[in-house]
Amino acid sequence: MQWGGPAVADDAELVVETQHLTKIYQNRQIALNDAALTVAPGCVLGLLGPNGAGKTTFLRLILGLHRPTAGWAKVFGRVMTPNAADLRRRIGYIPTNPQFPKGMTPITYLDYIARLFGLPADVRKPKLATLIRAVDLLPHSGDSIAHFSAGMTARLAVAASLLNDPDLLIWDEPTHGLDIEARRSMLELIKTLAAEKTLILSSHNLTDVDEVCNHAAVLNKGQLIFTGTLQDLKGRIRRNHYELDIDGEQKAITKCVAALRNLADFKQVLLRQRRLEIKLTDEVPNAALLAQLFGLLGENKVTVISVRTLGMQTEQAYLDLVEREESRGFARLYKDEAA
Amino acid sequence: MEQTPPVVTVRFNRFLPYWAVFQTDMRQTLRGWTYRLWLLVTVLAAAGFLLYRVGVHNEAGIVRSAAAQSGDLFRLVVVGSLALVVVLAVSAVGAERGTVADSVLSRGISRHQYFLAKWHARLVVVVSTFAALGVAVLIASYFLFKSDAESDLTAAGGLTAVAVVAAALAVIVSWGVTIGALTNGTVLGITVFWVVLYGAGFALSWMPEPWPSPDRYLDRLRFVLRGEYQSAGLSNLMLGAAALSALAATVGVVGFSRRDV
Repeated sequence: MQWGGPAVADDAELVVETQHLTKIYQNRQIALNDAALTVAPGCVLGLLGPNGAGKTTFLRLILGLHRPTAGWAKVFGRVMTPNAADLRRRIGYIPTNPQFPKGMTPITYLDYIARLFGLPADVRKPKLATLIRAVDLLPHSGDSIAHFSAGMTARLAVAASLLNDPDLLIWDEPTHGLDIEARRSMLELIKTLAAEKTLILSSHNLTDVDEVCNHAAVLNKGQLIFTGTLQDLKGRIRRNHYELDIDGEQKAITKCVAALRNLADFKQVLLRQRRLEIKLTDEVPNAALLAQLFGLLGENKVTVISVRTLGMQTEQAYLDLVEREESRGFARLYKDEAA
Repeated sequence: MEQTPPVVTVRFNRFLPYWAVFQTDMRQTLRGWTYRLWLLVTVLAAAGFLLYRVGVHNEAGIVRSAAAQSGDLFRLVVVGSLALVVVLAVSAVGAERGTVADSVLSRGISRHQYFLAKWHARLVVVVSTFAALGVAVLIASYFLFKSDAESDLTAAGGLTAVAVVAAALAVIVSWGVTIGALTNGTVLGITVFWVVLYGAGFALSWMPEPWPSPDRYLDRLRFVLRGEYQSAGLSNLMLGAAALSALAATVGVVGFSRRDV
């Protein structure tokens, strides 16, 4: 599947392309299984998946830190290998928990990273000074990184990933361990960068992905189970799922619930304290069923305090997708036509 | 009329990544506890050994040739250093795998450059430190035992002895860095290399003369220190050491390029 940028992009234009990408660690653990995706320029891809799904393995394969057991990963039209330094010169990477060499300050660290990119002094020195200022580390530019907080470390990692003015940014859990303010700044930065760069973000936080990404890929147990736009992902969610906070006499509420359960078009009716969760069938227009529901509540003098629609979030879509994938059992051997 | 912004083309320096890793590794090795421990232990052991020998010489009147005493000291330093030199070498690449190596190898550096930079940095640190210590030991021995009628140290012999031992250490460092790059854990790499080195040394010491025995070579250092050596034989030894180091580096470069980090 191909996303981002123009609907049809030439292969030469693709930023990332993988085919049959498979990683098996020491014949013991299948970390990634036959992953195929393409990322076109301008795409902001959210890589989703539970712990151990293979997200980091996937990113490391794209970066050439790992060698694929089978298949290949192309970056900027060329196959990525551990020695493809010139390809990595166009990538900015932030690992999940960035580690820094001991005894370095932000200035010495960024200078080191810039030299690793082969940037001459007249380019790297002004660039690192600009970035230190941009990520608000100017007052700490001479302090040892070892004493930095998680937020400061994250900001330094961001600066390091932007030093080479990369065309592709690969950020693995960029908001991991950040407080609310730092997380907000990070998301705003991602939105700004998304205007001119291609981004691949791995995240557990679906709210973050929802906010900044325009495309998503879902990995589960090493298998790429969804690739497409965020809208496509949301389109897969269960519809007609509502939650009502109600008030009234307990007898009346129980009577309503019993009546609703007898109606065939109400697939699920759950009452928890004063919270009513209902799922409607897709066959009948929901307005008629909701009218029936409110009518029943009104007749029994049950007050509706609030009504919410459930499952219209990326999180629900993601959970549904993973759940459906799990439920397919051996049928997973064959590609899901609906996917 | 609108002006098109000028396109700035950055000319990348291809050797800068190598140089950056080399310099950083040198600096970090010199600041590391392993190196400092090695230096401290070696200096203290050498100083203690020399003082003891001077005491025996002056108080007990037992006279041994300066070359023999320096030869013993060289043996002590080499055998004592081996354990920590192995740690220094194996940890060069191995200790960084999965952590710091991530943030280095994901940049514009190839595996070849990274391995070579690490190898060269450890080689320079270990060989130059040993050379400095060896020369210091020789100078100290010369001054402490120069009044002795049997003072038989020669400058050429001393420098040759230092060069021979440094070459042997270079081989150990080279294979150590390679083993560290090819094994999955630093502790495993260190253990394997210790077992191989000490095991092979022990086994070879039991082998008859045509077999190369580290024990016999170290024993012969006293003759080298006196200037009694065959240049051709030592040249072969040095060439052999260089070949073994080059082989280790080749195996390391090729093997590390094929491994996950």
